[in-house]
Amino acid sequence: MSEMIKEREVEREVEIKIDDVCMSFKDNNSNDVQALNRINLAIKKGEFIALLGPSGCGKTTLLRTIADLLEPTSGKVRISGMTPKEIRLQQKFGIVFQNPVLFEWRTVKKNVELPLEIMYWSKVERKKQADRMLELVGLTKFADHYPKQLSGGMQQRVGIARAFGIKPNILLMDEPFSALDEFTKEKLHDDLLKIWRETNKTVIFVTHNIQEAVYLSDKVCVLSPHPGRLSAVVEIDLPRPRTIGMKDSIQFTELVAKVRNSFEGGSL
Amino acid sequence: MIKRKKNIFIRFFRNPKVQPFLSVILPVALGVLVFALWQTQILHKILGTDTFTLPLPSQINRIIGDNLPKIMLNVKATVLVAVIGLAIGSFIGYLIAVLATVFPRWGAGGLSIVAAFNAIPIVALAPVMTNWTKDVSSDASVRSMVAKVLVVMIVSIATMSVNAYRGLNNLPEFSLDLMKSYAAKKRVVFFKLRLPNSVPYIFTALRVGVPSSVISAIVSEYFAEYITGVGRQIRENIVIAQYATAWTYIAVACLIGISMYCILMMFEGILLRNRK
Repeated sequence: MSEMIKEREVEREVEIKIDDVCMSFKDNNSNDVQALNRINLAIKKGEFIALLGPSGCGKTTLLRTIADLLEPTSGKVRISGMTPKEIRLQQKFGIVFQNPVLFEWRTVKKNVELPLEIMYWSKVERKKQADRMLELVGLTKFADHYPKQLSGGMQQRVGIARAFGIKPNILLMDEPFSALDEFTKEKLHDDLLKIWRETNKTVIFVTHNIQEAVYLSDKVCVLSPHPGRLSAVVEIDLPRPRTIGMKDSIQFTELVAKVRNSFEGGSL
Repeated sequence: MIKRKKNIFIRFFRNPKVQPFLSVILPVALGVLVFALWQTQILHKILGTDTFTLPLPSQINRIIGDNLPKIMLNVKATVLVAVIGLAIGSFIGYLIAVLATVFPRWGAGGLSIVAAFNAIPIVALAPVMTNWTKDVSSDASVRSMVAKVLVVMIVSIATMSVNAYRGLNNLPEFSLDLMKSYAAKKRVVFFKLRLPNSVPYIFTALRVGVPSSVISAIVSEYFAEYITGVGRQIRENIVIAQYATAWTYIAVACLIGISMYCILMMFEGILLRNRK
């Protein structure tokens, strides 16, 4: 099984290349704080990558650097040979944040259509795509509801529909499920994997939850804090499609232990 | 079981279904109580006054009935000043907020200056405006109208610009990042995010602006050249010691403020019904 996965991976081309990326901020006492220290990472097309670490390890900073929401102090990020800015201006990023960021004055459907409006899709195409995406996340019935009428899990699902709706090359997710309860989270994990399988996008998923990282991804990039650095990349060779039952398997438990032990400065 | 029964009174008041009802009932009950004390002249005994200085509600009611056409003429003049001043002032205030948002470097400082206008007392502003506008027109009614509208306008500008600026800039967390990730131009961010986000703040400004526009209109009528409006009638009748008529106009002024506020609440309820 693991050989099969390896074979598949050889065929994939590297899509995102992160070269020696450093990032430093000034803190309140104007001391330099190193958020990221020489990060090197290659991400292949269609891969599901988890950036895992405790708070303050720079995982969100790294994600924002890839998204061109932040510029690295030194080093560079290349996506299919282009800069993150070029990719952003081509509108090839789909982003999901910690909270759903829905516009409360728009219906669910209009929220999904928002980026498509900005990208000058025709009205008919917008409608078609929004309907399709809402069906994918199982919210067809709620298309004409307003965000305040939806639960937190449903709102985050709308956010995911909106992100996948623009047909991005790369999907960036910044702790999207951290505010949700465990039951909703598990449901959304499987929904996300289903959409990912159907659309085959590259996904970078930031999380501080080890189980979540192992369950979802092909590779877990373990980041350690002070300064933020990449301490290990753990290959997750659990078969796909993943099912909830796998969380009870020995293989899963071992992988979780392996990831946990790869944090520098001892296990958490 | 016993404990439950003991708390039934408290539980009734804390019931979320009862509370909105209570928030209407209690103020109305207080109002009715005051009216009852007033009409039975108990209030006069408490305040040590008489029905000549403080006429009875029934008397005020009768005067309103007898002079309705004349009162309506004055109401029309006052409402016209308040509404026109509020509309123009709020529009200019919103434009200032937009400018402050588009040019953030000058925005914050400029806005503080505009906000300082809020501190100018209307009583000081009104005579100055009357003096300034004395050459605007040869018609005294037009001159006075311009002066009064200007006073209301200046008061409204400050309230609207400060609130609208908040609405245009207090954006939901990550919403600017989201727009940036779509490579949205500034113009698109303005029309799709900032503008709709500012709508509830416009209503916040109007909640303050509506009552203050009525007050400004009434006070500016005191100093205006042309003798018309509810405020002017209050003054004229006090001067000639017609307290009953003066009180009638005070009551009418209250009714104007309350009805304009109710109309605003209605619009707000309709336009913001889908928001948090």
